[in-house]
Amino acid sequence: MATRNISGEAIKELAQIVGSAHLLTESLEVSLYEYDGSVETGRPDLVVFPGSKHEVAALARWSNRHRVPVVGRGAGTGLSGGALAREGGVQVVFSRMNKILEIDVENRLAVVEPGVVNLDLSRAVASAGLHYAPDPSSQKACTIGGNVAENAGGPHTLRYGVTANHVQALEIVLPDGEMVRIGGGAVDPPGYDLVGLFVGSEGTLGLVVEITVKLTPLPESVKTLLAVFETADDATETVATLTAAGVTPAACEMLDGWTIRVVESSIQAGLPTDAGALLLIEVDGMREAAEEQAQAVIDLCRKNRAREVRTAQSERERETLWKARKNAFGAVGRVAPDCYVQDGVIPRTRLPEALRRIGEIGRRHGFDVGNIFHAGDGNLHPMLCFDHRKADEFARAMAAADEIIALCIEMGGSITGEHGVGMEKDRLMPLLFSQADLALMKGVRDAFNPLGLLNPGKIFPGGKGCGEIRIPAASATEGKRGTARVDEAGGSGPSGADGALRDRQA
Amino acid sequence: MRASGENLFEPISAIVGGANTSVEAAATRNYAIGGQRPAVVAWPATADETREILRLCVKQRLAVVVAGAGTKLGMGGPPSHYDLALVSTRMNQILEHDPGDLTLSVGGGARLTDISKCLKAHHQFLPLSVPYESLATAGGTVSSGIDSPLRQGYGTVRDFLLGAEFVTGSSHRVKSGSSVVKSVAGYDLHKLLVGSLGTLGVISRLNFKTFPLPEVRRSILATFGEASAAIGFAQCIAHSPLAATSLESLNATLVDLLRRGAPRSASPLPVPQLSGRASEWQVAVGFGGSEAVFRRFRNDAEGMAREWGATDSLLLDDEATAGVWERLVEAVPLLLDSSPAATLVHAGVLPSQLSTACAAAESSAKRHQLPVALLARAVGAIYIAFLPDALNPETILRLAQAVDETAEAILAMQGHWSLPWCPEDLRKRTRLRGDERPDLGLMGKVKQVFDPENILSPGRFAGGL
Amino acid sequence: MASEAPARTTSLTAEAEDQGHYRDYARCVHCGLCLNQCPTYRLWGREADSPRGRIRQMFLVSQDEMPMSAAYVTHIDRCLDCRACETACPSGVEYGKLVELARGRIEQEYRRPPIPRFARNLFYRQLLPYPDRMAKLARLAGFYQRSGFERIATGSGLLKLAGLEARSQLMPRIDRKFFSTDATRVHEARGIRRARIAFFAGCIARMTFTSLNEATLRVLQANGCEVVVPGGQWCCGALAVHAGFRDVARDLARRNLAAFEQGDFDAVITNAAGCGSTLKEYGQLFGPEDKDHERAEAFGERVRDVTEFLDQLGLVSPLKREERRVTYQDSCHLLHGQRVREAPRRLLAAVPGLELVEMRFADQCCGSAGVYNITQTETALELLRQKTQHARETGAATIVTANPGCILQLRAGVKLASTGQEVVHVVEILDRALR
Repeated sequence: MATRNISGEAIKELAQIVGSAHLLTESLEVSLYEYDGSVETGRPDLVVFPGSKHEVAALARWSNRHRVPVVGRGAGTGLSGGALAREGGVQVVFSRMNKILEIDVENRLAVVEPGVVNLDLSRAVASAGLHYAPDPSSQKACTIGGNVAENAGGPHTLRYGVTANHVQALEIVLPDGEMVRIGGGAVDPPGYDLVGLFVGSEGTLGLVVEITVKLTPLPESVKTLLAVFETADDATETVATLTAAGVTPAACEMLDGWTIRVVESSIQAGLPTDAGALLLIEVDGMREAAEEQAQAVIDLCRKNRAREVRTAQSERERETLWKARKNAFGAVGRVAPDCYVQDGVIPRTRLPEALRRIGEIGRRHGFDVGNIFHAGDGNLHPMLCFDHRKADEFARAMAAADEIIALCIEMGGSITGEHGVGMEKDRLMPLLFSQADLALMKGVRDAFNPLGLLNPGKIFPGGKGCGEIRIPAASATEGKRGTARVDEAGGSGPSGADGALRDRQA
Repeated sequence: MRASGENLFEPISAIVGGANTSVEAAATRNYAIGGQRPAVVAWPATADETREILRLCVKQRLAVVVAGAGTKLGMGGPPSHYDLALVSTRMNQILEHDPGDLTLSVGGGARLTDISKCLKAHHQFLPLSVPYESLATAGGTVSSGIDSPLRQGYGTVRDFLLGAEFVTGSSHRVKSGSSVVKSVAGYDLHKLLVGSLGTLGVISRLNFKTFPLPEVRRSILATFGEASAAIGFAQCIAHSPLAATSLESLNATLVDLLRRGAPRSASPLPVPQLSGRASEWQVAVGFGGSEAVFRRFRNDAEGMAREWGATDSLLLDDEATAGVWERLVEAVPLLLDSSPAATLVHAGVLPSQLSTACAAAESSAKRHQLPVALLARAVGAIYIAFLPDALNPETILRLAQAVDETAEAILAMQGHWSLPWCPEDLRKRTRLRGDERPDLGLMGKVKQVFDPENILSPGRFAGGL
Repeated sequence: MASEAPARTTSLTAEAEDQGHYRDYARCVHCGLCLNQCPTYRLWGREADSPRGRIRQMFLVSQDEMPMSAAYVTHIDRCLDCRACETACPSGVEYGKLVELARGRIEQEYRRPPIPRFARNLFYRQLLPYPDRMAKLARLAGFYQRSGFERIATGSGLLKLAGLEARSQLMPRIDRKFFSTDATRVHEARGIRRARIAFFAGCIARMTFTSLNEATLRVLQANGCEVVVPGGQWCCGALAVHAGFRDVARDLARRNLAAFEQGDFDAVITNAAGCGSTLKEYGQLFGPEDKDHERAEAFGERVRDVTEFLDQLGLVSPLKREERRVTYQDSCHLLHGQRVREAPRRLLAAVPGLELVEMRFADQCCGSAGVYNITQTETALELLRQKTQHARETGAATIVTANPGCILQLRAGVKLASTGQEVVHVVEILDRALR
């Protein structure tokens, strides 16, 4: 189905819009856009690299005229397949639209094109004592346009908030080519919070062509602490204690023992490989406040049986610790050919129980489950490592993944904290939302995107090719564990030995 | 096609019970907007009752205005028609509070004071110190979208609203977001409710992130000869490492009013003697933290005040702090009460434009001989209150001119403006309507999805949505 | 849904593993963290010219799922092999090894157009392996540079006309006297002998960087090293490896193995980061069953970059004050290839009065990349233009780096942009400061 019938005439028009040098039609080159950072794939028919917002508007008109889907893409680092052309069509890659258009130090705003790399913006404003606060682990590669689409988070969102809290205005191109500004550089634009709606809409409501973001002052003081625990329980209980005590670090990340060892073998950061768990905690702000918070953190860690609490002594040491954290998912590539990273969220008070039960689920299915996650937010990232070439291992991994998600929902949490729904979790949406909830969301999508040409097949379940989903009540109790199953029998999956795999991932 | 109260009493009371339905003037008068009164008032207790009511309204094409405590019904335009007031005050439960997770779920009609009482026991709070704090409901606060003096430190409600459940105009009970602190599943429809003035849905549940109460809360009051120095000082603090939770610049008219006026709470706290010479501005800086933080704050802030030429600076103790903030929170009612034709413009400008915007408002007020009170928040929000001493066609004319001029100045600096409170006659007399926005069309599309029959607060919203 | 998309995961069959590098490729989790570190991706924003995209292409070709098309060869040719992606990669993908293997296969199986094919064969097979031929060619070039022909060519605008002006700036200046490696030489340590080391002199560097080599010897001697320059050594083979001439590289490696096995040394030292990473990785040239594999591995383990070695050894010679602001440009094959970042910086910091100002993107390739500036001149010049800009922003009088190729490129850059900055090697800074 991927290869759509796009007429030669239509392709010629496309070439006129972006210039033939910025259009890929050859299947090899196009196929390089079928993947991102997730386990999903979706191949576009054509790839274009617009150079200006006016070209994007023309692309939208073209798509509307020819009834061909368009799917935006930044750097392709997403973890839910949000930027993949699930139903083919034209992939609009924003890598040429990567200019920082304006930096307004006085008002702490920056206006950027969607292809600007997250960290590049922070680097560009560092000399003014500012930074762009949302810091997804992929920040050295991911783009701000992609961050807006997925409402990206990151370790420091614990204190600073997610992308939605930092986007002030957007210029968007609607499917009919209309270009509209929503929000504003100044605060309190009257009317509905369209920016709030747009951020995190995964490219299904419009294409973002210009973004006004808030810049945040670099903190006066930053203290990075590494607390070493003998058991994961002690670490998770510390997180719950910290939260309850009103200590709000800038970031609070946890690594369990398995992950410590994997990461340490990749990035020699001097992590204690015999530890049961680590908490990487950062406090920042006014010098006095940071010092007090650091002391409070140290005291509470000790009280919760931390074996050791180290404080990074230099910027370099701090960078090394964060590098260990931010490179963790990739590091897993060293130990297993496939790794399925999940993104569930639970109330922080349930952390100890959640980790214990995730461990049990893993063991029952014969896996080590690695955990490295934003503990301070209760945003879990269990990693299931497997080798898909062993069919039975894959099935077991997916069964375990389903149980973990069911657990998050049972605890009153969410199926995704920051990676987005994309094409990975659309089938799980009914576990969280009722038909009425989804219908209203769809209504909003259809109001903006009436022909469904923008990023089709995302967020909402029932996209083409998906198996029917049989879902137990969202309030699945412990006794029903393992019942969150996807019935793939009815799926129009591909044939072949790997059919189950692809169907499952698609 | 106006429905009569008698016809509605029966079907509504069948849903919520006779005791929770009223067609009496005594009741309907409380929910009057710009002279229009509903035919019937209903107090549903649950989202399901709300659904039933709205289902009936859809069937009979009845226009519904949602109210909480009714303190902010004056915001926005009058409804184009008005049959039923749906009052949320029975949906006032604290549904869930997980102190260890810093999360809270409440019914749409929950009162802020009840919430605050519940949170305080756990040394937590919700940074929603909005006007009419002692009466206001959570749902009404969200719908009004009104900000508070705490926004400097904590942002506005959109920054800590995690999710909501509401009943749409097509009588579907819907939720979005979550009750945990982080979730990106599905569209954040709940964010649309913020500032929607009840045009999208009836809020039955709100999930918030809560915050730890700081150890101490203190404030500094600094006095300056002119607006630019006051605002300059406030910006200087905003750009410093000092994490102020409030940064409010007030002109002399407002200072005077706050000093004289008593907020509506039972026993208003005393305020310190604020100097209030006609030309002077004051900046109120609020902050919270430990004693050590406080010492540093005082030291640095006083230094900056001197640098900006403060004629006076006053460090307030706990009680005085509470007194000042109580009045600042209630600035809007104090202003509305101070003039029979009080007209409040709410503007948003870039912080670098605050001085210019204030100057534009002042000069326009002067030109039209209107007293003007100004409250400028360092993030760029300004409340501009024109306060004539009489309400008559002549003052309306002057007000209309002053509003238009001020709005023009603000639009010229890429700012935003709205007219949340003003005499009803004025709304039709201003040339600008606050709907000079390119995204109004998209808002119309959103409204159409949420409320296809246009039964929810028709005509109240920007651009007549 | 995904049936029509041949995914990475589906196509990696167990049989594929027997064909070669399944594990190497499988390490790539396509997270994309490498993208923005890749100079060519930064320039063009194309997946096909990013490490992740190249890995995918190389994998598909290695599995015979994709033909070895001209487009494929172009994307692989365009890679600088700077290995910045390896530093960025959390999964430890050995990209350098993969791209070198892929180029080897291209060289064996892909028929380039006649002229490039002729030129490449001539250089890699007929010139590079032969010191005497290279020397003759160098003398000819030296004659051109010194005789006035070059001045005429430049002055007359002839080069400009031919579009070769910038290119000619990238050509090394040929030394009058070459650094000899014909016979083994020994240079005594000054003071107490702290180490006995063998010096690797390079090939082109021998004819164009004589003074750098001599400075290196002086600095090593001054710090208590007895330096042996083994006779019979020749080119490390880096250029050949990078171009895919793996057989040529193997021959060169065997020659060097023999030369350096003549004595027992604490370390083999090079001042060329590009050579260093190839020398350290000699083991990769020989399969595990090859008789030379172990020798090559053992040799590789003894190789040290001169900055790495001096930093470990510790400087003992007193250093003069040098009031000067410098900036350091990381040589890719030192930083990314050998993971040496701090050593050169620490050495510079040891010179009293020297102020080191970091430039933005110091970890990005300058565009030299072996012979990349000759084969992909336009790209190299664009990268150089950016690099020169970043170096200029620091206000440093001197740009310091750790590889002769980078020095040549940066010198061309400062000349083209007329920044007036000098470009030297770390050891040249130390050499000047020697009392």
